Amino acid sequence: MTALRLVDVTVTLHGRVLVGPVNAVVAPGEVLAVTGPSGCGKSSLLQALAGLAAPPLRATGGLWLGEVPLHALPVEARRLGLMFQDDLLFPHMTVLDNLLFAMPAGRRADRVARAEAALAEAGLADHTAHRPHQLSGGQRQRVALLRTLLAAPHALLLDEPFSRLDAERRAAMRSLVWQTLAQHGLPAVLVTHDPADVPPGAQVLTLGAADA
Amino acid sequence: MAAALRSLNAPQPLGWRLARWAARGAGIGLVALPLGMALLVALGEAGQPAAWQALRDDPQTGPALLSSLVSGLGSTLIATALSLWLTTHLWDHPRWVALQRRLPAMLAVPHAALAIGLMLLWMPGGWIARLVAPLAGWDTPPDWTTVNDPHALALTLALALKETPFLLWTIAALLARPDVAPRLRQQLALGRSLGYPAAQVWWRAVWPAWGGALVWPVAAVAAYGLTVVDMALILGPGAPPTLAVLAWQWLMDADPQRNAQGAAAACALVLVMAAVAGVLVMLHRAVQPALQTRRVRGTPQPSVSAKTFVHAETSVIPAKAGTHTRRGRWTPWVPAFAGMTEGGMAMLWGAAGLALAVASFSGVWRFPALWPTVWTTAAWSQAGAATGTLWTTLVVALAASVLSVGLAVLWLEATPPTWDRATTAVALVPVVVPGLLLMVGAYRIALALRLDGTLAGLVVVHAWMALPYGLVTLLPAWRRFDPRHAWVAQALGRSRLAFAWQVKRPLLAAPIASALAVGFAVSVAQYLPTLFIGAGRLATVTTEAVTLSAGGQRATGAAFAVLQALLPLLGFALAGAVGRWQAVRA
Repeated sequence: MTALRLVDVTVTLHGRVLVGPVNAVVAPGEVLAVTGPSGCGKSSLLQALAGLAAPPLRATGGLWLGEVPLHALPVEARRLGLMFQDDLLFPHMTVLDNLLFAMPAGRRADRVARAEAALAEAGLADHTAHRPHQLSGGQRQRVALLRTLLAAPHALLLDEPFSRLDAERRAAMRSLVWQTLAQHGLPAVLVTHDPADVPPGAQVLTLGAADA
Repeated sequence: MAAALRSLNAPQPLGWRLARWAARGAGIGLVALPLGMALLVALGEAGQPAAWQALRDDPQTGPALLSSLVSGLGSTLIATALSLWLTTHLWDHPRWVALQRRLPAMLAVPHAALAIGLMLLWMPGGWIARLVAPLAGWDTPPDWTTVNDPHALALTLALALKETPFLLWTIAALLARPDVAPRLRQQLALGRSLGYPAAQVWWRAVWPAWGGALVWPVAAVAAYGLTVVDMALILGPGAPPTLAVLAWQWLMDADPQRNAQGAAAACALVLVMAAVAGVLVMLHRAVQPALQTRRVRGTPQPSVSAKTFVHAETSVIPAKAGTHTRRGRWTPWVPAFAGMTEGGMAMLWGAAGLALAVASFSGVWRFPALWPTVWTTAAWSQAGAATGTLWTTLVVALAASVLSVGLAVLWLEATPPTWDRATTAVALVPVVVPGLLLMVGAYRIALALRLDGTLAGLVVVHAWMALPYGLVTLLPAWRRFDPRHAWVAQALGRSRLAFAWQVKRPLLAAPIASALAVGFAVSVAQYLPTLFIGAGRLATVTTEAVTLSAGGQRATGAAFAVLQALLPLLGFALAGAVGRWQAVRA
């Protein structure tokens, strides 16, 4: 359980500064909420932290996990769990296969047991053989969260993960995510346009239209 | 400050960067470079002044060029007019759905197979004459030149019949785009609200606005029509033949001077093609503004210009719209007639297919009997005995489709979307540039590399011809694929290879299967590349079908033509099954 550190993170689009420089330390289990109007660069910042910024988007700065310079690692080695407003479950795979995709190492029987245990804990034990389109929006988002967690991430990057859910499911999903973060001691960066999504005690970084 | 200048973009693994450059290198080295070299070699051969002089002085050149112009440009004109007219009256109509269902099968049937089927229908002793015979009192076939006519009319009609589905398919793909279809419906609804028949809206607003997108498909049709050899051998004039056939004969001659004359003839056809493309572009530029600002015929002031319809989604009905007098005549019989025409076209295709099937089983078939007196499987036994030909066809088509699709996939994976425009432009060269000219160069390169007459050479050249179609089939699906799937997979710690194999491959299985089927069909249909690179040592069902049919061997030629048509249909059926299976799984 280590803190995530953002050092002078700056995102540019076509050479123009879109966001930054941002400096922040996100302690384990804590959330850095990034808010602001549409087009201000919230999602671009998240993309940059994940190492996924592609031209014309460019990002500079440092991203540290304790003493580990994540910015020097390829995306797949950073182990930053990504969640979007769409669940992005792989539609051709069953729920179980989606989860197994996140943990390729080890004996299959062990991996299946871990995935099934996680599903049971999330109240989805009956859905292992279902395909994503056979689940409700809330169930899909829960499976996506499980998939992210089973990959043993060092931190979470959440891009409006609740915005596609109805009010009731949104509240349930929020508390599930905050609980999970606390339980696993994961630092998280949350992008949202809805102040209600920001958990109590979170650091808030508001990007203004001027940044856009 | 040092931290601020450090790139936060994730470093890409060296292996991945190398693989990406290798894929780009393969695309350029195996496709773009040979393409350019083939064109340069062909142009070099055609560049000898003596060749052009010989071409000018040859008494066959003039009539042959005229036949090429009539068949190439006439068929393009008919196919274009028919496609626009059918779309105008059938789009968004149940008949349009039925038409779209038939198009893939029509596209899959090779040109030569249709030409042989039509020959069996149209020739003086063909099915149509046999149907008419009792009414006309014919005991012997009429002494009419209904195929191989000196004016190339049979060839013109056959080409028009084959190319109309291609243009309809292009138009259907354009109109089905999510950014086009709703807007088009709005335009038509606005037109109706103003009292204009839909056809007026199409001709005054839709076609002028979208005509630009059709310039290149129409140019490709003209290029094919001007330089087609297999259909011209079956249905075209004989003495002299079309310029493309003449060029091909000269190019296959043992005399190098004749070869140069053939290259010059192929080059002349390319010049004609370039002139046609230029005229098309100029025509579109000239006609578009004229049509868009022209008042709907007979409409008194104030007029509603076509721009009103084009910008329907942002415009409001003009303030004085109520003063309009509707002069666009509403002719309800026209859509019905369009439906009948489309039905008639489909029937002609069906009849050609049936004629092929019947002829392939025909033994004794005296005129004017409607059906053969003796049925036999002799032709099929002969076709079945040609295992070498069948084997070559299958192996080359499978290998060429896999190679072309593999190259297309590698290229799409290795290049950013910003390269797509240039990629498409280069890839479409073999479609727009007449095959005859390309094959002159390809043959010389194959000779230099000692690939002529080899299976490997044939596979490479077929893959080369199939690649544009594979790329065009795959490109939209590849670029529509949500990149966030890859991001999530990478964030889960999985490699690009694992993602490509476990996620992207199954999700794109349907378009990949379609591209394989298209590549297979394109390979099976290749005539000129097989003749040139096969160098007489390798034959496919297509070369056999054309040779036998042009040589008057009706039944065996028909059997090979049926095989030629069935193989691609089988490929498309398999691709369709993969698509349905994928849809069920997802």
